[in-house]
Amino acid sequence: MIDKTTTLTEAISAIPDGARIALGGNTLHRGPGAAVHELVRQGKRNLELVKTAGAYDVDLLCAAGCVAAVSAGFIGYETPFGMAPAYRKAVESGRVQAREHACATVIAGLRAAIQGAPFMPVAGLQGSDLPAARGFRTVRDPYSGVEVYVVPALVPDAAILHVQEADATGNGRIIGTRFEDVLMAQAARRVILTAERIVDGEAFADAPETVAIAGFLVDAVVEAPGGAWPFSCTPLYEYDTDYLAAWVSAARDPDTADRFIAERILDPAAAVA
Amino acid sequence: MNDPSAEVAPWDMMAVAMARLLKSGETVFHGVASPLPMVATLLAKRLHAPDLTYLNITGSVDPQPAALPVSTVDPALLAGTRSLVTLADLFDLSGRGRLDVAFLSGVQIDGEGRINLSAIGDWKHPAVRLPGGAGSAMLMPTARRVILWRTRHDPRTFVERLDFVTAAGNVDRVVTPLGIFVRHDGRLEVESLHPGVTPEAFREATGFAVDVDERTPTTPLPSDEELAALRMIDPEGVVSSEFQ
Repeated sequence: MIDKTTTLTEAISAIPDGARIALGGNTLHRGPGAAVHELVRQGKRNLELVKTAGAYDVDLLCAAGCVAAVSAGFIGYETPFGMAPAYRKAVESGRVQAREHACATVIAGLRAAIQGAPFMPVAGLQGSDLPAARGFRTVRDPYSGVEVYVVPALVPDAAILHVQEADATGNGRIIGTRFEDVLMAQAARRVILTAERIVDGEAFADAPETVAIAGFLVDAVVEAPGGAWPFSCTPLYEYDTDYLAAWVSAARDPDTADRFIAERILDPAAAVA
Repeated sequence: MNDPSAEVAPWDMMAVAMARLLKSGETVFHGVASPLPMVATLLAKRLHAPDLTYLNITGSVDPQPAALPVSTVDPALLAGTRSLVTLADLFDLSGRGRLDVAFLSGVQIDGEGRINLSAIGDWKHPAVRLPGGAGSAMLMPTARRVILWRTRHDPRTFVERLDFVTAAGNVDRVVTPLGIFVRHDGRLEVESLHPGVTPEAFREATGFAVDVDERTPTTPLPSDEELAALRMIDPEGVVSSEFQ
């Protein structure tokens, strides 16, 4: 048995500047909050972020200057908090490139990566300006002659996922919706798992079908209680409405965003995980 | 004179109008940031479409949430589900032609029912970077019917020309606080005005040409039964959050 447990600092320090990072979870839910904060603390630069629908993770990393490009279908906080202000400003100023996808084309790109195929056909996209804007091309189906859009493989250098339970070898149990986490774990060159708790993997043998992430795909496991915060982590905690409201308000202005990051994320005495 | 329309909130009118468009036996999907579709689908299922299959981005199937979340990816939408699919499964369902209804929205909507959720101004150098279309570019051409909803009905939303076409496809209806569009021969036409909305007000709020006059039908007010069911499903008024 290979013990892959390590510290958050160690696990994140293996990610180089310029890496393409897939982030687990969806909008306000089960994102890898603690790992995202560690990316900020380590001052990563020029990352490309991959996600179907992101929110605080993408917004914060853009505000902190960690991001060069975002490959995603949707970036926003949903109805309670609206648009992602720092992401928006970063794209509008040209600092961050929005590599806009349909959520389905993120999935198609990950599927190509998983299968070792160069590209993946995807249904739909007709009538949209996205293929032209993004350079998504068509190929002719050699069997029927029909033109179909294809999306290039999207291979993350690393996937960072937060799960409720993991064992020391990296088997990870997800309670509730898995989102694109399983696809990301299969597509990425390297997988970092943070977990609410590390458990004895023998317990997983009783119900291996509940284990979403197979340990042999995982490189590092970090015990991180509360590690999704400020995202939700069912059934343990909900997303932190007060914190997210404070962040979204601060994120509208670069000075207040910088102060927020300095006081609540970079300051070692801060309460942030 | 007592105007009954004054007592119906625009979100209630919209939720009921959207629910009426759903039929029993249909598979119906909504994604992120979709409180009105969530409530409308639960309402239809309770009233006239018990055999509708309610699908959403959490992957739950026919959930029975005790309390409705404001985030429509919230784990609260898993309550009561007896199976769990993935978002990839739901796109696949639509791709093979088995998704009957997708609820989508747009920051801009044009007279063909196409939507922009990408950018205001030039897409490469946007004046406003919008959230992005989520699943819409894939779902709009592949779902059998798309119902658009938008809580703002003004000339900046309903525009002659989109700054960017995020998605186009099988739009059937568009529901707003002022009325309902139906798409005929590729163009949005006014199907009905909500009670209390004048043809002039509707025309002025719409940035593309619409044929609307005194003969345009009025959307029936929510019935007592519809409103009672709505209060049962959404006692906290989560639908109103879209109007903040």
